[in-house]
Amino acid sequence: MPYQRAIKTSATRGLDLLNFCIAGEQTGFGPFVAVYLAARHWTQVEIGFALSLGTITAMVSQIPAGVLVDALRGKRKAAAAGTLAIGVCALLLAVWPAPLPVLTAQVLHGFASCVLTPGIAAVSLELVGHAALGERAGRNARFAALGNGLAAGAMGLLGSYVSEQAVFLLTAVLCVPALATLPFIDAKPQPPTRRAAIGGAGRAELVALLSDRRLLVFAACAVLFHLADAAMLPIAAGELTKRVGVHANLTIAACILAPQAVVALLSPWVGRTAARLGRRPLLLLGWASLPLRGVLLAVLPNPFLLVAVQALSGVSGAVFGVMVPVIADDVTLGTRRFNLCIGICGLAAFTGGALSTTLAGWLADAAGDPVAFLGLAVAGLVGTALVWLAMPETRAIEAVE
Amino acid sequence: MRVSRVSLIVSLLLLTAAAPEMPFGSTAPELPPTVELQTFAPREAMPVLGQRVVEPDGKAVARLVDVLVDPDGRPVAAVLDFGGFMGVGIRKIAVHWSTLRFEPGEGTYRIILTLAPDEIKAAPEYRDPNKPAPVVMPTTPEHRPDPQ
Repeated sequence: MPYQRAIKTSATRGLDLLNFCIAGEQTGFGPFVAVYLAARHWTQVEIGFALSLGTITAMVSQIPAGVLVDALRGKRKAAAAGTLAIGVCALLLAVWPAPLPVLTAQVLHGFASCVLTPGIAAVSLELVGHAALGERAGRNARFAALGNGLAAGAMGLLGSYVSEQAVFLLTAVLCVPALATLPFIDAKPQPPTRRAAIGGAGRAELVALLSDRRLLVFAACAVLFHLADAAMLPIAAGELTKRVGVHANLTIAACILAPQAVVALLSPWVGRTAARLGRRPLLLLGWASLPLRGVLLAVLPNPFLLVAVQALSGVSGAVFGVMVPVIADDVTLGTRRFNLCIGICGLAAFTGGALSTTLAGWLADAAGDPVAFLGLAVAGLVGTALVWLAMPETRAIEAVE
Repeated sequence: MRVSRVSLIVSLLLLTAAAPEMPFGSTAPELPPTVELQTFAPREAMPVLGQRVVEPDGKAVARLVDVLVDPDGRPVAAVLDFGGFMGVGIRKIAVHWSTLRFEPGEGTYRIILTLAPDEIKAAPEYRDPNKPAPVVMPTTPEHRPDPQ
């Protein structure tokens, strides 16, 4: 029988709010940083450097940060440190947009994000245990999507009607409720089975993880997922600005918010279904929606249908968001490498995303946006084929705990 | 003759004395640096990088993010960031310098784009500073900036 834990409602609600606030905090970072720095009279070259520095830090930090979170005893402390660091970054950007503080914030944000993602997953796993992680991951993704969507809306309004600076002040403020939730998320001591394997055989365990076919195939699938996914929204949004005109920002906002609504609706179902039917059907659903979206974006005549098609990205987004922690837990069950595994998936996702914008930008430049969308669809198709042909089912036959 | 020899020795001494501070062999004794100055009031010169660009009716439409100049340093085109939400969906378009009208002033300076929205829609994106830049030129006389 799966081990059912008694979890306090306050802990469940606390974790909901933590996911909500942190996703909100992360919304201000990303492409908006470029807008903000341009408004602060930064040159294009300086902005490019600052953004690249953040990306490179986030990329090289994924695995070390995962190892670090694995090694820490208190996962909540890792989550707290990450949350606080992101609040500090936002404050630095808001009040002191000079080169040194901004570059420091970019580096700190890159590293802190890499601690925070596995940190939240680890806190969740500690709270609910292996058997219920699917459902919890679904809930996490739902509240993260709500936080992201609402923050994007609020920050868009703040940026347009108040000031770009206000966006980062809101980001910094969001760190306060996020920190306040942590004392409520008190996990019970872990059941003994999970602790049994901890201790010796660290190196053998590491070698076993790094040569685990399930992880390697999933990481390759994650690269292809983000290779297909990452550039679709920017190119589609650029297309909207071109076709609808310079006041297309509301339509673009809809392209950003609609997928978050879909993720919020769908994620809990993804989590439950992964527990009931296994991981593979959902992986296929999530990955297969990528080539479909790519082809639709390539052939779509009406820019307003873009919003409907972009909403499809909520399907793949919900699947990816829920399946990363679930599969990482499947692969590392009984070991202490859960966060390393999440770091590896994060690195795979980042690599795919970086390649996506470069390759799609090059394709769009050389042959036009439809060809770029088709190229991204091909990457999604290859990813789907890889899931179909090579990705094993990772769900244990009966829950181990 | 004698005077010039003395002055030569003095200047040599000065040179050696100054050498640690001035490794590039400046012979001048330390004088406070002077500079030719002219003051421009805010209504005579304005900053442009990072400024919002508005349509003639005052609606913010873009942000000026770069300036392209010719070999003499004269501005040829401005690179403008159009559209987007939270940084997503921005199109960079280079417009000819003469399509912009500048209204400097005390705290309220403005950059006005005189191109029609449809001309912006039709413009190709400015992507790579190392490639020939597509620059939108003023087409119809009514969009030409007022001759000053």
